[in-house]
Amino acid sequence: MSNTFLIIIFSAILVDNFVLSKFMGICSFLGVSKNLKTAMGMSGAVVCVMLVASAITWPIQHFLLNPLKLGYLQTLVFILVIAALVQMIEMIMKKSMPPLHKALGIYLPLITTNCAVLGVTILNINSNYTFMESMVNALGAGIGFTLSLFLFSGVRSRIDKADVPEALRGLPITLISASLVAVSFLGFKGLVENLFGG
Amino acid sequence: MPQSLVDILIPTGIMLGIALLLGILIVIVSRVFAVEKNETKEKILEALPGANCGGCGFAGCEGYADYLTKPGANTALCAVGGVDCAREIASILGTEAAIPEKKVAVPRCQGTCEQTSKRYVYLGTSSCHAASGLLGGPNSCTFGCLGFGDCVAACAFGAITIKDGICKIDRALCHGCGQCVKVCPKKLIELMPITATVAVRCQNEWPGARTRKNCSIGCIGCQKCVRSCPQGAISMRESLAVIDQSKCIHCDACVNGCPTHAIAFLRGEPKKQDNHSESLAQEK
Repeated sequence: MSNTFLIIIFSAILVDNFVLSKFMGICSFLGVSKNLKTAMGMSGAVVCVMLVASAITWPIQHFLLNPLKLGYLQTLVFILVIAALVQMIEMIMKKSMPPLHKALGIYLPLITTNCAVLGVTILNINSNYTFMESMVNALGAGIGFTLSLFLFSGVRSRIDKADVPEALRGLPITLISASLVAVSFLGFKGLVENLFGG
Repeated sequence: MPQSLVDILIPTGIMLGIALLLGILIVIVSRVFAVEKNETKEKILEALPGANCGGCGFAGCEGYADYLTKPGANTALCAVGGVDCAREIASILGTEAAIPEKKVAVPRCQGTCEQTSKRYVYLGTSSCHAASGLLGGPNSCTFGCLGFGDCVAACAFGAITIKDGICKIDRALCHGCGQCVKVCPKKLIELMPITATVAVRCQNEWPGARTRKNCSIGCIGCQKCVRSCPQGAISMRESLAVIDQSKCIHCDACVNGCPTHAIAFLRGEPKKQDNHSESLAQEK
């Protein structure tokens, strides 16, 4: 049992990293990785929203959509629920946790339609995860997002200091280096199965 | 009812139901968790320039607005908003306005690549702080501007550029927030009153001969300006002239007498005032 959780969480963080292997959430990945502080703020918000969104969408799928045979409404309903959810989280946070709201606040609205969040909820359903497995997967996906942002903000601060050929300055070199970081994550393929004997 | 109609109505109804439920929930949450806003603070925040430069010493304009809502707060801390902003804040608070003195940043170095030479080839990180850590930087004059642009990065208003190896500050764009003063490892940028017309554009304290060898526009400590100043506003620190701006009467005698042109007009030409200082002079 605990082995399954370990496999899920490490797969989500390293092997199937949402940004670098599945290429989800690239927009925010490139947008906020300019420096470490904003990167960590965004990651914190993503982890929060992924966890809560998974916790809400799993019951919706299994207790509302599946019995009524409305599986095709999945994307629509999930987007609606996630967007509303993030709005509510933001309001609640503003009132009860002002410091946290200050740290995450401006990033929360940005991720209402982040495809990584929608992706993790749909993948939970498609992989036939139980509720607990879904939560673990969401946590892993969030940590994976954090990890890739953390690594890439370091890479970008180095790019800023480097003498880049003029034609590649700005977005081109950022995309090239992002792809190189993604290639390095290919090295994790097969790691989890061998470690935990899945 | 035909089956096809039911197939359409059920999903529509469910979507509507979910949307309605979420809408009601959001309204309830926004009522329950409504944050009372401080009206005075909101007004002050609107009056402030919103540059978030940190020149007042608080974390952005919001931090300063927070401070201003407390009694006895100093309304003169915002250099960017200047006189108008201080007045507006004071009228919101209903207190006497403390008028800030408008200042601009002045780099005290004119040692361009032509005037100075390099002691070694620096290939390290492109930052003044890093370069100054290596024997005080590659320049022949170790007091002067390194030209890697730490100040450019610190300026929130895009007022600073690097030209010919030294920093240039656009007086029209400078708001006098003092962020560049803080980051310069050579401490060569100084905030001066905008009414100042002349300044010693050098901070080299070496004896004259050594200065001359390393920079053709540095202050050599000849004391000609000290003698020529009718107000006694100029004094010597080691072998560097220092002007006391509060005593200056803008007679320009020091500039005309300076053999190396280390003392220079701040606006390029004498007696030509820019609009801002004119309006300030009228107010005074």
